[in-house]
Amino acid sequence: MSARVGVCLLAALLLFFPLIFPDPFYQDIGVAFLLAAISASSWNIVGGYAGQVSVGHSMFFGLGAYAPLLFYTLFGWPPLAGIPIGILLSIALAVLIGLPTFRLSGHYFSMATIAVAELIRIFFGTWTLVGGAIGLQGPAVARGWWDLTFRGDLPYYYIFLAVLGLLLFVTYEVQRRRFGFYLRAIKASERAARSLGVPVRLTKLKALALSATFTSAAGSLYAIKTGFIDPDSGFGILVSVQMVIVAALGGAGTLFGPLVGALILVPLQTAANTWFGGSGSGMTFILYGGIIVLIARFEPGGLFDLWRRLSAMMRRRAHAA
Amino acid sequence: MLLEAQNVAKAFGSFWAVAGADLAVAEGEIVGLIGPNGAGKSTFFNCLAGDTLPTSGRILFDGVDVTRATPEVHARAGIGRTFQVPMTFEDMSVLDNVMVGAFLRHPHRNDAREHARRIVEMTGLRPDQPGRSLGTPGRKRLGIARVLATEPRLLLLDESLAGLTPSELRDAIALVRRIHESGVTIVIVEHIMEVIMTLTRRVLVFNQGHVIASGTPEEVVRDDAVIEAYLGRGARRQRDE
Repeated sequence: MSARVGVCLLAALLLFFPLIFPDPFYQDIGVAFLLAAISASSWNIVGGYAGQVSVGHSMFFGLGAYAPLLFYTLFGWPPLAGIPIGILLSIALAVLIGLPTFRLSGHYFSMATIAVAELIRIFFGTWTLVGGAIGLQGPAVARGWWDLTFRGDLPYYYIFLAVLGLLLFVTYEVQRRRFGFYLRAIKASERAARSLGVPVRLTKLKALALSATFTSAAGSLYAIKTGFIDPDSGFGILVSVQMVIVAALGGAGTLFGPLVGALILVPLQTAANTWFGGSGSGMTFILYGGIIVLIARFEPGGLFDLWRRLSAMMRRRAHAA
Repeated sequence: MLLEAQNVAKAFGSFWAVAGADLAVAEGEIVGLIGPNGAGKSTFFNCLAGDTLPTSGRILFDGVDVTRATPEVHARAGIGRTFQVPMTFEDMSVLDNVMVGAFLRHPHRNDAREHARRIVEMTGLRPDQPGRSLGTPGRKRLGIARVLATEPRLLLLDESLAGLTPSELRDAIALVRRIHESGVTIVIVEHIMEVIMTLTRRVLVFNQGHVIASGTPEEVVRDDAVIEAYLGRGARRQRDE
């Protein structure tokens, strides 16, 4: 019951946040938060629930980001039309990557995903069709609402929020169904899962494809909102690492873990950028490094797990009193 | 025959862990598989479960060749197995653990839950207990419950009763007997002779990758080759004197 109340409160807060904080600065943070939450929640399906830690999810993010701007640049299509193309490309890439790499386990899978993402980044950096190292631009002035080019942050905020809502709903459904049980079983022990008739490789492949779908959508939203994409902001390793950190900080393999992680990390990042100015882009790496060390050392289950343990302890203490 | 292994062999490099083993199990039997450590029982067992691909030989289940089939296919066909080390899904509750097995024949969540609940009840576990908080006896029991939920026709038990106290052992034997009575054929690998003597009517003894003796438990424990395998030649001589 209390969990339901918490969810309603969170939904209300997210829904009214731009009205409570109308300042563009805060709306910008709100949009950044939603984007981080969408990316990390997408990663969470395969990295958290199935325990297949991809550190190359920027490959899907990047494809999703490039597709709308590429088809706009080439044919003048509205960016909206590029989103499904990005998703289809990402699913195809997921299958292509998943088939060979899901034979690998643990660190080897992570390393393989890094390698593929880096290859794509370097390839895009030299490919003139997609703008090479300079990248691509979106429409500067909207020709209509379908260009999704707005002056303020508010429309983006609600579009992102809707996508996040859909993603959380899908994850919730996955979690309750056979698919979700299979993912958690695979994470715990592939061998045991297999002995119980779980089609391990197919299940992992499906999870990766679903995860790629939403990661790609996140990339599209990012590119359309920013109106610009280059190899680093699309396929850079920092994009992948951020998804892992946000999810792990909040709690990988939990529904709201990535949200909690984004809620903490995004404001922290904004603060760091403000304090240290433009020269502080290296600070992001230091911040991420520090968080990785802290999570790995003290809370491998993330903050969500910590909170769950604390609340259980409080309840026990309340019973005892 | 429900399960038939013909001349199964498995080599790791130049070492033959299993060197031409035969086994035939009829529907409704309980067969014991014993032998000293390193005799090749586990490797043979893994071949039967589809976890290890035999180097040569054939394994038939209900007349169908399953030698090269994956563990998933074995489970679907109706061959279930437990593990020596139980491999509990730590982050899941007992009921959720069992539901993973139940989903094989009941794709819908409510049916799977219902089915899993019945099995958890039968094994005497607490459904809402977290997997990670279980001790060894609980984990072994959960391992059995999980595989039972897949509704196997043949159950392969790999030392599922080792490491239990005498009273836990009695409960576990009763559980295996109940499973057998419900119509499941069982092949059991076990070190504890009490288990073998009380549960099985037919025993195969492994040594150095071969089946060196077979028969009723009473016959087997008097067999010269068996005594030699376990205790060495000296022990046999001592007894004969």
